[in-house]
Amino acid sequence: MKTLALEKVTVRFGTLYALSSASVSLEAGQVLMLVGPNGAGKTTLTRVLLGLVRPNAGVVRVDGEVCPINNKFKKSIGYLPEAVSFSDSLSGKQVLRFFARARGVSSKAVPGVLDRVGLKHAAGRSVRGYSKGMRQRLGLAVAIIGEPKLLILDEPTGGLDTEGLSVLWSILAEWREKKRMVFMASHQLAMLERRVDKMGVFLDGKLLACDSPAELRASVGLKQKAVLSLSEDSNDGVEEFVEAVEDWKHGIGKLVGNNLTVHLEEGKLLELMDIRARHPNAVKGIQTQEPTLDMIYERLLEIPA
Amino acid sequence: MMGRVGLHLIVHEFIERLRDRWVIASSLVFALLASAVSAYGITAGANAVALTGPSLATLVSLLVPLVAMILSHDAIVGERERNTLGLLLSLAVRRWEVIVAKYIGRGAALAVSVCAGLGLASVVAGKEQGAVLLQLIPATLLLGWAFLAIGMLISSISSRPVSASTMVVIVWFVLVFFFDLALLGLLVATDGYISTKTISNLVIANPAGLYRIQVLSRLSGAEALANLGMTVAPPSGALIAFIWGSWIVGPLVVSWAILSRRRVR
Repeated sequence: MKTLALEKVTVRFGTLYALSSASVSLEAGQVLMLVGPNGAGKTTLTRVLLGLVRPNAGVVRVDGEVCPINNKFKKSIGYLPEAVSFSDSLSGKQVLRFFARARGVSSKAVPGVLDRVGLKHAAGRSVRGYSKGMRQRLGLAVAIIGEPKLLILDEPTGGLDTEGLSVLWSILAEWREKKRMVFMASHQLAMLERRVDKMGVFLDGKLLACDSPAELRASVGLKQKAVLSLSEDSNDGVEEFVEAVEDWKHGIGKLVGNNLTVHLEEGKLLELMDIRARHPNAVKGIQTQEPTLDMIYERLLEIPA
Repeated sequence: MMGRVGLHLIVHEFIERLRDRWVIASSLVFALLASAVSAYGITAGANAVALTGPSLATLVSLLVPLVAMILSHDAIVGERERNTLGLLLSLAVRRWEVIVAKYIGRGAALAVSVCAGLGLASVVAGKEQGAVLLQLIPATLLLGWAFLAIGMLISSISSRPVSASTMVVIVWFVLVFFFDLALLGLLVATDGYISTKTISNLVIANPAGLYRIQVLSRLSGAEALANLGMTVAPPSGALIAFIWGSWIVGPLVVSWAILSRRRVR
């Protein structure tokens, strides 16, 4: 599986449009995150991909070919539902053994996967005694057993502690590295922003945008920010430096006290560094700040910061 | 033809149910009560079966439907509650396979429970009488499997496990207790307007009623039925098979139809 695309997917429940002509695509080695308020349509799109909801219109394409969501396609999927739990009367090992066998994976793989998600010590214990985070880890183990080409995660960070999050990050990194795909829905933008390649923003069943964070940042007009701490000594050429930045056409500066904040156009940081180099004593320190996914999301949804 | 996932699901369901504490508890209660009835029958000497047979049949017709519905009432709604129904259906499995695999796995667990209960009762009754009691097993299994299918239907309809539990109690009360009383009331209230034959047919249309008639006619003959007011001829084998088949297949088909149409979270 090298590419996956959901094209013009429309899902209607009665008169309500849960999804309206939404299109997203993903390439091998990419992580796509769907975001949006509750009921925006991200989970519905996930269910279309799982074959749980039949769309009224639209298609799923794998490597460019229209692909029905049949048992053959399902064999390449690993799924982690939101806030998953499992039967209380079984042990973690028994739960995972069932999903391993159901996916045609040898039971010998079970201890290794349980170890991978940090549940080796609790493998034989009944799920009844598992905490929320342990159940989520078991859900992760179920999703990754058999190493599916497409991992579908619904709110994967829910209930995970620091150690559990490390496990999740390592899984995301491995799937990227091995040129597999991850398709996930989450509200945790800040946690996941360095780990996603594409972000799809949904609102009221409509896909507002779907692109890489850099492209989305550019499309909504959010700029990289540089905060320069200026020298307090007027002999250091501070005035000349501020004038030079103001004359420079690729950044808008705002001076507050000794701090000059510059909103930079994409890729213009080096030019600002050149200006600084020409006034070596004027600037004592510099900090750069990328617009976060939260800021992009708020801008797209027009939520006041 | 059932696929690999379905076959593994049968085994999974069987193991899961055997480990469920509610199932263990209700099976133990059934086994103990059945053994107690058997032990009491020993005091009757040669007439033990005539005494314990009907008592055991009544006990079974009360308890086995409840045990069966306890076994199956959370089959679908439990998966929904745990957010695992979507996970299950994301595997290479069709929805009818999920219904059938869950039914077979749980049906096998019920068979273990019934065989253990009646087996213990027959051991207590002794070799000769025990052999007669063991003959109750096939009809008891049919009774259990019919109510297991009803439990599956309840599980498919319900939106939460607690509403499924409530519905189980209501269905159990209506079919096991209230139905015969209601027919009796109908007979008296209509003062013979509704024929005995119609009433008899209505009795055997209910799985609990059919079980009682089947078992009593086997243990005590048609005379025992006549003493209970069943003046019509006992139902034929084909009719009995049709009624049991309908009670088992019907609810499962409806469960499948509901699962196919309801949104899965």
